[in-house]
This record gives sequence, C-alpha cells and structure tokens, in this order.
Amino acid sequence: MLAFRYILVLCLGFFLIQPTYAQTPTYQIDGVVEDTLGNSLIFATVLLLEKSDSTMVDFTRTEMDGSFRFKDVPRGNHIVKATYIGYLPLTIPVNAGQEKKINLGTVKMSEIASELMEVVIKAAKAPMKMRGDTIEYDASTFKVPEGSTVEDLLRRLPGIDIESDGSINADGKDVDEVTVDGKSFFGSDPKAATKNLPAEGISKVQVFDSKSEEEEITGSVGEAETKTMNLELKEDFKRGGFGKVVAGIGDVNRKELKGNYNKFNDKIQFSLVGVGNNTGRNGLSWDDYQDFMGSQSWNFGQGTDYGFGGRGRFYTFGGGGSGNSIEQSIQSLFFNSGQRGFPENYNSGINFNYDHKKTKVSSVYYFNQSNLSASTTTDEDKFFQSFTQNETSADSRDDKSQGHRVELSFEKELDSLHTIKVDLNGAFINENNIDAGTINLSRDANLTSTTDYQNRTNTSGYLLNGIAVFRKKFKKKGRNAGLNASYLTTELEDDWTQQSNIDFFENQMLADSLNTDQINNDLATKAVFKANALYVEPIGKKFFWQTFLNHRNTSEDGERVISDVVDNNEQVNDFLSRIYDNSIIYNRVGSLLRYSHKGLNISMGAAYQNFDLLGDFSSFVTGESLGTVDKNFSQYIPNVSLRYSINRNTNLSASYTRDANEPSIDDLQPIVDNLNPLFVREGNPELTPEVSDSYRLGLRKNFPLHDTRININLTYQLYDTQFSTEESVNEQLVTTYKPINIEGGSSASLWSNLSFPIKKNKLKVRANYSLRVNDRNALINGELNATQVISHSPSVKLDITPSDDFTIYLEGSYGLSDTEFDLRPSQNQKTENIGASIEINSKLFAGFYFNTNFSYEKYTNNRFNLTTTIPIWDSSIYKFFLEGNKLEVRLSLYDALNQNQGFNQSAFGISVRQSTTETLARYAMVSVAYNIRGIKSSVKKRGWW
Amino acid sequence: MTTIVITEVQEIKMKRLTIFLLLLSYGLSAQIEEGTITYNRKTDWISIMSKLPYISQEEVDRSTLTWGKEENKGTDLTLTFKDNKSVYTYSEEQTANEWGWRRNEILLIRDYAKKTIKDLRGEMGVTFLVEDELKRTKWKILNEIKEIEGYLCMKAETTDPIKGQTIHAWFTDGITFSGGPEGFGGLPGMILEIDINEGDAVITATKVNLEAPVEKLPIPKKMKGKKISRTELDNRIEKYIAESIEGNKNPFWRLRF
Repeated sequence: MLAFRYILVLCLGFFLIQPTYAQTPTYQIDGVVEDTLGNSLIFATVLLLEKSDSTMVDFTRTEMDGSFRFKDVPRGNHIVKATYIGYLPLTIPVNAGQEKKINLGTVKMSEIASELMEVVIKAAKAPMKMRGDTIEYDASTFKVPEGSTVEDLLRRLPGIDIESDGSINADGKDVDEVTVDGKSFFGSDPKAATKNLPAEGISKVQVFDSKSEEEEITGSVGEAETKTMNLELKEDFKRGGFGKVVAGIGDVNRKELKGNYNKFNDKIQFSLVGVGNNTGRNGLSWDDYQDFMGSQSWNFGQGTDYGFGGRGRFYTFGGGGSGNSIEQSIQSLFFNSGQRGFPENYNSGINFNYDHKKTKVSSVYYFNQSNLSASTTTDEDKFFQSFTQNETSADSRDDKSQGHRVELSFEKELDSLHTIKVDLNGAFINENNIDAGTINLSRDANLTSTTDYQNRTNTSGYLLNGIAVFRKKFKKKGRNAGLNASYLTTELEDDWTQQSNIDFFENQMLADSLNTDQINNDLATKAVFKANALYVEPIGKKFFWQTFLNHRNTSEDGERVISDVVDNNEQVNDFLSRIYDNSIIYNRVGSLLRYSHKGLNISMGAAYQNFDLLGDFSSFVTGESLGTVDKNFSQYIPNVSLRYSINRNTNLSASYTRDANEPSIDDLQPIVDNLNPLFVREGNPELTPEVSDSYRLGLRKNFPLHDTRININLTYQLYDTQFSTEESVNEQLVTTYKPINIEGGSSASLWSNLSFPIKKNKLKVRANYSLRVNDRNALINGELNATQVISHSPSVKLDITPSDDFTIYLEGSYGLSDTEFDLRPSQNQKTENIGASIEINSKLFAGFYFNTNFSYEKYTNNRFNLTTTIPIWDSSIYKFFLEGNKLEVRLSLYDALNQNQGFNQSAFGISVRQSTTETLARYAMVSVAYNIRGIKSSVKKRGWW
Repeated sequence: MTTIVITEVQEIKMKRLTIFLLLLSYGLSAQIEEGTITYNRKTDWISIMSKLPYISQEEVDRSTLTWGKEENKGTDLTLTFKDNKSVYTYSEEQTANEWGWRRNEILLIRDYAKKTIKDLRGEMGVTFLVEDELKRTKWKILNEIKEIEGYLCMKAETTDPIKGQTIHAWFTDGITFSGGPEGFGGLPGMILEIDINEGDAVITATKVNLEAPVEKLPIPKKMKGKKISRTELDNRIEKYIAESIEGNKNPFWRLRF
C-alpha cells in the first residue's frame, strides 16, 4: 500500500511539473539515407552532434530501408551527420523548436569520385578534410624527382591545375594565397612559394576556402570565391642550431675565451668548439661535448672485444682513453682539467656528421695544446725495518704539448640484416718537457746524497688505427653474429738529455760524486692486431647460447740509444743501449648460456685463454742477445652473472668471474736497468700471471612516488697471486726494485647511497657511504710486509631549493683512512679528510644574480701531527641583457682568501708523501657571455637524482 | 598501408559488400564482431620533453641533435575483442635484443555491455588495479577522413585535462565494435589510431584480423595490483605531474603518456 502511495505521488508530481516546461524536454529525429540514384544505404552510420562544438551526442545505423531514428534527443541545436564508405559524409543542421518530432526526409549522399578516393588511399598518411560537398586533401607522399619544386609536386595532385604562367587553380577556383606552416610567404604572389620551395621539404599540401572558426569546427558550408593553399614543412626538415661565446679578462694576467657553434638539419650536423685560457678551468662541460659530437656522443654499447656481456642496448660514453698520451681519445682530451700549477690550455675542434636513413658518417678534427709550468716541493718518508729514509725535493717543470687528432667513422645498414662500420683514427703529438730540481736523501736524519738534475725531453709520434665491424642478424629472431678486426700502429720518438750530479755523503762529509750527462734517443713502435667473433643462437624464446673468440697480437719493438757526453763528445753507452722486440699473442674462446625473460637475466659460462709472450733484448752496439723470454700461460675463466629487475623499481645484480692478467715483457726480461743510479730496476723471468676471483653484488631501488632512491654495491677481489715488488735499499740508499708474484692480497669495497626529500622539491638529502679494505703484501729488504688500508667515506648533501630565484647547496664529507703496517706497527697511521661546502645562488634586485661558493677542506695525519686546512671562496655577480637573456655580463672573484696551495698528501706501502705545488690562487675576472638561444635564468641545478 | 592504389579501392568496395552480405545473413541485430587488432605505439620523447615548461630551446635542440636520429621501433600491443568485451595488452612477452626487460604493466579490460572497466597499469612505479564504471568519453567529431589498414577512418577529438593532452582518434564504422586501444572507445566504430598531442605518442593499427575467431579473451586468472578508483588514480597522477614539473623532472618517464 505504501509503495502504491509513492507511485501515486510520483505520478501526480510528474503531471504537476509537466506544465512548467515550455516544451517537451526531448524530441525525436527521423530520416532515410539514400544514394543519388535513390537506393537505400543500409547500415550507414548516422551521428548526432552538438552544433556548437561537434560533440557527439549519439549515433546509430540505418535499417534495411535506409531509415534511422534518434529518440529522446535533448532540445538544442544539433547536426545529423551521415557517413558511408565511399560516400561524402553529409551534415544536416537540426534546430529543434517546439516540435516533438523532426523528420529530415530523404537524405541523399553522393559518392566520392574514384580519382579523389585514390588520393586518400595513395596519400595514406595524409588525411582528407571534408567540408560540405568539397574536399580538402592533405597530400604527402607524392613521389617527385629530387630537386623538384613545389610546383612540380602540385601538378601531380588531382584537382589542381597549374596554368602556363604558374598560377594555381584548385577545383576550378583560383588560389590567391599560399602560406607556409600557416604563415604568409613572400607577400601576395602565390607563385613565389611554389616556384622556389623544394618539394622534398613539404609534408602536406592543404587547399581550403578562407573560413570562420565556426565553419572550421562544424564543417558547415560557406561559399568562397578563392582558395588558400597551405604548405606544411616536414618536421625533420626544420633546422636547428645554437651557439655561445664567453670571453673573460682578469687580473694576474688571466684570460679566457670559449665558444661553440652548431647547426643541424635532418641529415647533417656541423659543429665547432674552441677554448683558450690560462685559468686551469677547462670550461667544457658534458653539454658542450654533446653539442660538439651530436648523434655520435654516445656509442651503441656493443664493444668490439666480445665477451661474457649480454648484447642488450646499453649506451656507453665514448671509448678509448687508456694507454699513453697518444692513445687518448678526443673525448678524454675534451674533459681533462684540474691541473695544478699554472696551466695554459687551447682546444679547438670541428665535427661533421652525416646521418640519414641507413648511412652514418662522422668526421672530427681536434687540436689541443697545453702548457704547464709548475713548481713542486715534496717531502717523503719511507719507513724501513731498521731506518727511516727521508727525501725532500724541489722540482720545477715546464711542459708544452700539442696534439692533432682525427676520427672518421662510416656506418651503413646494407639491408635489414647486415650492417658494416669502419672507423679510422689518426693522431699526431709533440711534447716538450723541461724538468729541473734538487733531491736530498737522508737516512735517519743524516744526509746521504744530494742530486741536482735537469732533464729535457722531446716526444713526437703518430698513431693510426683502423677498425672494421660487420654485424649480421639472421631471419631467425635472436640469432645473430658479429665479426670485427682492427689494426693499430704507433710510433713514438723520444729524445732527451739528462744532466745530473749526485753527491754522496758519509757522516755528513762528501764521500763521492757521480756526474751524469746523457743523451737518450728512443724509438718505439707498437702494432696491435685484433680480431673478434661472436655468435648468438636462440634456444627457444628465453635461452641464448653465446660463443665468442678473441685474438690479439701485440708487438712492440724499438731501440733505446743512450750516449754519455764526455767532453762534448757523445759516446754510446753499451750497457744501457739496447734493441728490443717483443710480442704478446692472446687467444680466448668462450661460451655461455643465458636465460633472459621478463627482467631476469642469468648467464653461466667459461672461457679458455692463452697468452704467448716472446721477447728478445739485444745490445745496440754488438747486436748480441742480452736475454730472451718465451712464456706461455693458459687459464680457465669461469663467469656467472645475474641481473634481475624484480619490478620496474628494483634491480638486483650479482656476478662472479675469475681474472688473469699476464705480466709485461719488460718485467720478465732478466735485465738490470740502472738509468737512475739511485733506483735500480731488475726484471724477473719467473713471473707468472696475476690471478684473482672477483665477486660483485648490487641492489638498486627507486620509489618514484616519494622521489627516493637507494643504491648498494659490494665488490670483493681475492688474489691467488698478485703482482707486487721486492724492494731493497742499501747503505747509500740505492733502491733496487724487482717485480714478483706474491700470494694473497685482497680488496673489498662497499658503495652505497640514499636520496630522499624532506620536503618535496624544496629540501632534498643525498647521503653516501663507502668503505674500502685493501690488503697488499710486498717484500721489503727480504721481509714480508702486509699493508692494510681501511677507509671510510661518508658524505651528505643537502639541496635547499625554495624557489627558482634562491637556492642553497650544502655538502659535508668525511674521510678516514687507517693504514696498518705489519712490519712496523709503530708506523701505523690515520689520515682524516673533512670537507664542507656551501653554495648560494640568488636573484638580487634590478635583474642581478649572485653566486657564492665556499669550500673548506681539512687534512689531518695523526702520526705526523699534521693538519692542513684549505678554505676556497669563489663569488660572482651577473646580470642578463638583451631579449631572451642572450647576453650575460659577470664579475667573478676566485679564491677570495688566496688559499689555493696545491697541497697533496698520500701514504702508500711504507711511505708517506706530501707535496705542495705553487698554484694559481686569487684572481678576479670580468666575463661576457653571448648565447644565441638565450641563457636560462633559473638558479636551480638540474640533476638526475 | 599499401601502395597498390586501384586494388585498394576495390578492396574497400569488396569489404562494403562483405559487410552487406554479413548483415543479410545475420540480420541487423547480429552486429557481433570479434577479432584481434595489433597496434604499434611510438612515443616521441623529444617532443614530449620540449613541451615541459622548464625546458629551454637550447636543451630541446641538444636532445634533438643527440637523440633525434635514434630509430624508434615502438612497442606492439594487441586489442582482442569479443562479445562486447575487449582486452588490450602487450602483444607478446618477447625477449628483445637477447635481454629480458621489465616493462610497465598495461592490461586494460573493457566490458561495454556491463559498462565496467578493469585495468592493471604500472604508473609512477606502482602497479595499480582499477575496477570502475566505464566513463563516457566526450568526443568531438571532426571533418577529416583517412585510410588505415584498408579501413576508411573518421577523426574524433577529446582531451585529457589531467595529462594536458589533446587526443585524436581515427575510427572506422567498417568495424562496428565501439572499442579501441589505450582504453579509448565509445565511438561509432573501432578506433584504429590514437594520436596524442599531434605526434607525442601515436598508436596505429598495423594488423587487423577479423577472420580468425577469438576462442577466449586473454584475461589472466590473477590480476595483482594496488586497488584504486579511477578518480583517486587521476588525483595522484595530477599531483605527481605537478610535483615533477615543479622539481624540474619529466613526469612522463614514469607515467604512460
């Protein structure tokens, strides 16, 4: 009964409310869709749209008789739109007044001309725009010969006619305006654009009547007398380029000039870089490197020395950089900085990359010159079992070096399965060094010798390196192969003169003198041939079987001619002059099985490697053999690795491998080298490879929602046998070194960091902690000495970034290094490093900005009661000018407290060493920077974590 | 998209005929369609980055210079549909480049009859399970047509105010199922392409298969994720985007664009 009452009330309510409507709330639309011949179009789609903004209200399909009906349509202004494949969509405005039903009657749809249909299909990516019974089409992929103009392109478009005078006619109407990317081009003459623009730069051609915004949205018809044509440029055809130049001048005769410029389009990248300064600041950043190298900045991460690694897409940054100075890559030169003393650096480079479709060409030329003059005083103590040796020295050097480097690279994808890559590098260097000074050696505070020396060296040489790589994929997914070969050759010529005088003292009385005046001519050539092969075979979808072969043949030969100068006559020193010819042949074959699926990668494998060392030393004068080496070492190398992405935020990695390093031929030669009479070096033919087991464990976890990261890494390396030295010192403090193998030794390290915000985007904490434990054995004067170094280094950084106009960066670090000498515990020592820094960046008044950076470092060594503090304070004030902050004027004051002393302290083995190098300290500089693209004014640093 | 022009036109006419014949045999009410559509999703990171408010033109140019030549093969995803229900997820859990990567979860289930959604999605480092009502998307129908995989498609537009996106959908009434990729649907036909912000992300059909019957929709037995309502997830995403931009970080590294 209750329910009935409610229904009654509701019904009454309904009837009561009803009269308040001026009309019924909804209405109905009916219609029939036919083609122009009067056939019903069955199952045509009929859409009901809001007239104001084309929002879809409803849709339906026509019945067997072509009829459709929309029921319960809310009142308003609508559009009924009928579509049918192959027919022009038709729009009919429906404005509902008081009617309950609107019958649109028969709606006739006309077929799209097959020619135009063809346009749509052919120009696949380019859509066709509908406006009433006219069509605007965006044409894109119409093939025209290279070098064609837009006019040539237009001739191919259906519906467009080009008159003999070049005027354009579309659908029978004159095109009176041509725009490019929607902007007017060359004023009123439409022919100017079409006759001059290249067709290859155009992605779309649009022809339309000029129309109102409403017409644009609704598609309703408005007749126009003329048409406008818009040419849309290809996105990748658009060019880019940027550059900047910084010039500064300061007191103490400091100057700097730095500039870079680059320009690129879809195929070509061109860049220049140049730096010259005497501030010791290289001034080149990571961004500058990227700007210079362009698409070649990062190497596709598959090295050429194939091994146990997976072939996932890892990017590596650059390559090379090890070995002697001639083998340094351009990249490593780019970033060298931080020299002590008074350096002068000049760098310049030019890079040209061509990168289009399947072909990549890169060519870089780089020149660098660095001059360094430095005066260093050193104080070194060595603690032997029965005595202490002290060495004090004052050294001044003047070095100049120049290098020219060229790197060429060519890569071509022959087809989807085959790629070749060829690299050619060349370098030429010339270095001049002058090194002079005095060394005093004392034994338990009694002076034993004084050495005055002056050495002049000139080194020049070249390098050529060629690499060819062939990569092949097979039709079978996952099966692939790689082959590469490289040849490197270098020649270095060293000419130097060595003049020294050693006075030996006994009981503080001059006992003996040794005068050395030698001229040395070294010629060293090196050739390295490498060949590597890799084959990967998939087993099912998740397993891969990988096999690799490595071959390397290194041969080094040369001559060292040492002449003694006696009464201005050069006499070849038979004992020290020699000819050598060495080679090391390395072969490795390995295989592994890897499981890779859903973030889990496990691999297990082993390799067998063999070293064959051949060496021959002979006298330069007599040609008589002084010694030969013929050694062969073989080793099995197991390798296990795990990398597991537990989820997108958590990565775990673990690995085990055995390493074996061969001894150098120099160390194996049974030859005594007493070039420096105080430091005699002997070879050891009994040396065997250094063998160790390495373990690694890593965990990385992110919490993106909380901007928090944790990273922990552990490594442990345990030596079966390690390279070490046997050192003995005689009464005159002449030290004799001999390379030896020694059992044991290990190194362990922990590296961890944590970063999290205290207040998101305003205050961030980054904490690091690392621990290293090193155990190393050596023989000193016949006794085994075990040295253990334990070092802890925690550090904390705070980023305080309350706004874009004010930031503070705080940093505190602590380092404790605890060294224990087994042989002489009284020499155990602890060194501490404390560092703190604060950087403040702030926007001031009137467009001025301010930056100040104060750092404080303190070194302490408990055993020597030594404490050194270095406070360095740099400040600058700057202001931007010109539109878009293109110009910056900056006044800087470096090392305001004049405290930069170039101090260095180290303890290793039984020795403790401190050195001080006179270094550029306080100076002020005014600099002007101009950046084509404008300079960001934010004082926030952007970091990755 | 093929280059053979004339046959393509004929094919469309053939399809029209096929549909017509199908209708005759099933009757109008029997608009049941089933099949699988493979889409390729390409994301243009440089374009996305260039729109972030804190990025300078120099940084955009630098990224274009360094990374602009990188080949983008995209990711394949499949939409399987049957009985008014569709499932959208990765095409196959493949081991690319011999290396197993962990991908963000994406599994979107749409039930157009019951008007419900069930989504498993990895966003901001968390896998969320969203079970909610199917919300009606407000589509504007535009006046453009183009062809995708032999189907003539119409253009529709909607916006995502949370991610600040303008989304264009190309749908065809040649496939009557009102679904589409990335959870989009509700148009008078299947969506064959989604274009977010004019090329920032483009999801295009590369293979349409209506011939092979769908035995069973690929719905996993267990869908494990943090349960959340769509509104709540939207709120979190909105907050995350705002916070990331304030901290000068690209929010879309960790969000499905």
